[in-house]
Amino acid sequence: MLEIKNLHVAVDGKEILKGLSLTIEAGQVHAIMGPNGSGKSTLSYVLAGRDGYEITEGRILFRGEDLAAMKTEERAAKGIFLAMQYPVEIPGVTTLTFLKTALNAQRRARGESDLDAMSVLKLVRKKAAALKVSEEMLKRALNVGFSGGEKKRLEILQMELFEPKLAILDETDSGLDIDALKLVAEGVNAMRTPERAMLVITHYQRLLDYIVPDRIHVLARGRIVAEGGKELAHELEAKGYEHIVGKAA
Amino acid sequence: MNATTATRLTDALSLHATTSAAWLDSRRADAARLFRDKGVPHRRVENWKYTDLKTALDGADDAGANDIRCIIGTLPDGVELFDLGDLADAPQWVQAHFGKAALSDSMPAASLVLARAGFALRVPKNLRALQPLRIAVEGSGHARVLLVLEEGAALELVESRPEGTGFSNVGMEIVVGANARMTHVRVADASPEAIAVEDIAVRVARDGAYSVHLASGGASLSRLNVRLTLKEPGAHAELSGVSVLGGRLHADVTTEIYHAAGETRSVQLFKHVVGGHGRAVYQGKITVAEGADKSDSRQTAKALLMGERAEADLKPELEIFADDVKCAHGAAVGDLDADSLFYLRARGISEGEARNMLVRAFLEESVSQIADETVRAAVWQSVEATLPGAMAP
Repeated sequence: MLEIKNLHVAVDGKEILKGLSLTIEAGQVHAIMGPNGSGKSTLSYVLAGRDGYEITEGRILFRGEDLAAMKTEERAAKGIFLAMQYPVEIPGVTTLTFLKTALNAQRRARGESDLDAMSVLKLVRKKAAALKVSEEMLKRALNVGFSGGEKKRLEILQMELFEPKLAILDETDSGLDIDALKLVAEGVNAMRTPERAMLVITHYQRLLDYIVPDRIHVLARGRIVAEGGKELAHELEAKGYEHIVGKAA
Repeated sequence: MNATTATRLTDALSLHATTSAAWLDSRRADAARLFRDKGVPHRRVENWKYTDLKTALDGADDAGANDIRCIIGTLPDGVELFDLGDLADAPQWVQAHFGKAALSDSMPAASLVLARAGFALRVPKNLRALQPLRIAVEGSGHARVLLVLEEGAALELVESRPEGTGFSNVGMEIVVGANARMTHVRVADASPEAIAVEDIAVRVARDGAYSVHLASGGASLSRLNVRLTLKEPGAHAELSGVSVLGGRLHADVTTEIYHAAGETRSVQLFKHVVGGHGRAVYQGKITVAEGADKSDSRQTAKALLMGERAEADLKPELEIFADDVKCAHGAAVGDLDADSLFYLRARGISEGEARNMLVRAFLEESVSQIADETVRAAVWQSVEATLPGAMAP
C-alpha cells in the first residue's frame, strides 16, 4: 500500500526527515510515536502533499505510484486521507456544503458521477449519529465555533464518508477527553478492513489502547529509531522516549 | 487647447444661473463659494490621497455631457415623489432639507449647484413601504437625490449603477426620522470607462436606523463617500460592502461616522478582493463627540490581494471625545489563507475550486448583511461578473 524509502524532507531549507523508511501493507494499522519535534507532522504533511514540504531524497510509493508527482487533491481522490491535528475553521462555508463539494470532487476525479444534495445528506446522516455529530453542526460554518472534540469527530466523519485506502491520523487524540477518545477510536476501528491501511501518529500510548496497531515505529530526529509490536507502546509509556531514543543515538 | 473636464467644471460653477427661489439661490451660492475655495479634489488633499479626481478629470476630455438620469421604479403606495427639475416650486419638506448637507466637500457642493436632474421622496409618518423602491442612475453629469423618512417610516432602496462612461457626480441626502428605518443597497457594475463620484449624507434621529450595503465592481475612478450623523440617542447604523476589482479598476469607499449623541451605535464591515492592477481604498473615520457616552462603534475592513500588482489601502481613523464608549476597529490586507487552501485540497477539492470557495466565503460575510434574499442574489450576480477578473493575478 505505502512504501517509503530513505525519505529526506526539507522545510524552508531545513532538513526535518533524514532517511525515513517505512512499509505498510493493506489491512495493517501502523503507529508512529515520537517526541515533539521528531518530524511526525512533517511526515503526515508530506504524505498529503502540503506545499513547502520538499522531498530532497528518497521516494514514496502509494500503491506502486510515485506520490511526489501527484497534486494534493489527486492524492485525496486516489484514496489518501489525512485527519488533521488542527482542523481549519472556514467561515462562510457550511459544513454540509463542504462535505458535498469534497465528496463530489473526489468522485469526479475517479470518473464517478456527482451525488445530489439529498443523497449526500442521507449518507452523512447515517454516519453522523454514531459520532454524535449533530444536524446543527452540519449547518454551521466548517469547524467555526466547534469544540476540540467536535472538530476531531468531524475529521473521523470525513474519513468514513470518503472511504480512503490509506488513512493517516495526525494526533487525533490531542485535546480529547476519554469519552470522545473512545468514540473516535470506535469510528476508526470500524474502518479497519483487509483492503485499508492506517497510519496513526501520536505522542501518547493512550490512543493505542483503543486503536491497537499491528506495528509501532518510533520516530526521533527525522528517522525511525525503534520498531516493534503493540507492546512497544507500553515500554515507551513506562520508560519514556529518552530511554529508547537515547539508546539508539 | 481643449478645456478639460476639470476646467469645464470650475467654469460652470462660476457661471451658474439663479432661480426665482431665494432659499435655493442662497444655498447654491454658498456651495459655489465652497467649491471655488476648495476646487476639484486631488491627491494632496489628505482625504483624497488614494483617489486623485483632478488628474482623472484632467485626462477625461469627453466627460462634458450632461445626460444623467434617474430611472425610478414603481413607487410604493403613499410615498410622495418630487422631480427636482422644478426646484423653484419645491414643497416645504424639500425646502427644509434639500442641499443642507452639500457644504461638507467640493463634490456635493458642485452637484448642488450644477444638478439639473434628480428627485426627492417623502415617506410619510408611520408609512412602512413593503416593496423595495428600485432606482437606476445612468449617464454622466450631476444629480441630486433627497430621501425623507418621517417618524416611524420605513423604506428599502435598491440603487443600481449599470456600466457607463463619462463623469457622474451624485449627491444624495437621506433624512431618517425618529424610529424610522431605511435599508439602502447600492450595486455598481464594473465601469472601466467611467469616473463615478457619489456622496451619501445621512442623518439619523432618535431610535432611527440606517443600513447600507455598497457593492462595487469599480470604475476608472470610483469614489463613494458616506457621511453619517447619529444625531440622537438610540440612532443606529450598519454599513457593509464589497469591492471586487480586476483589470485597472478602482473603488474608494470613504465613510465618516459622527456619533453626535450618546447611546448611538455603528457597525461597519467592508471586504475587498483585488486582482490585476486593481486598487481598493477604504477610509473610515469615526468621531465620537464629547458627551456621546455609551456609544458603540465597530469597524472592520479586510482586503484579499490576488496578485503582486493589486493594491489595497485601508485607513481606519478614530477620534473620541467622550469617556465612556466602546470602539473596536480592525483592518487587514492579505492573501488567501494557506492552511485553509491546504485543508480543502487535502479533501480532494482542486486548487481553483478551493480558491473560489474561500473568496466567496470571504465576501459572503459582508454580503450576508443584506437581509432581503432577492436583493442579496442581485448583489451576488454583479459580484460574479467581476470575480474572475479580480481573481486573476
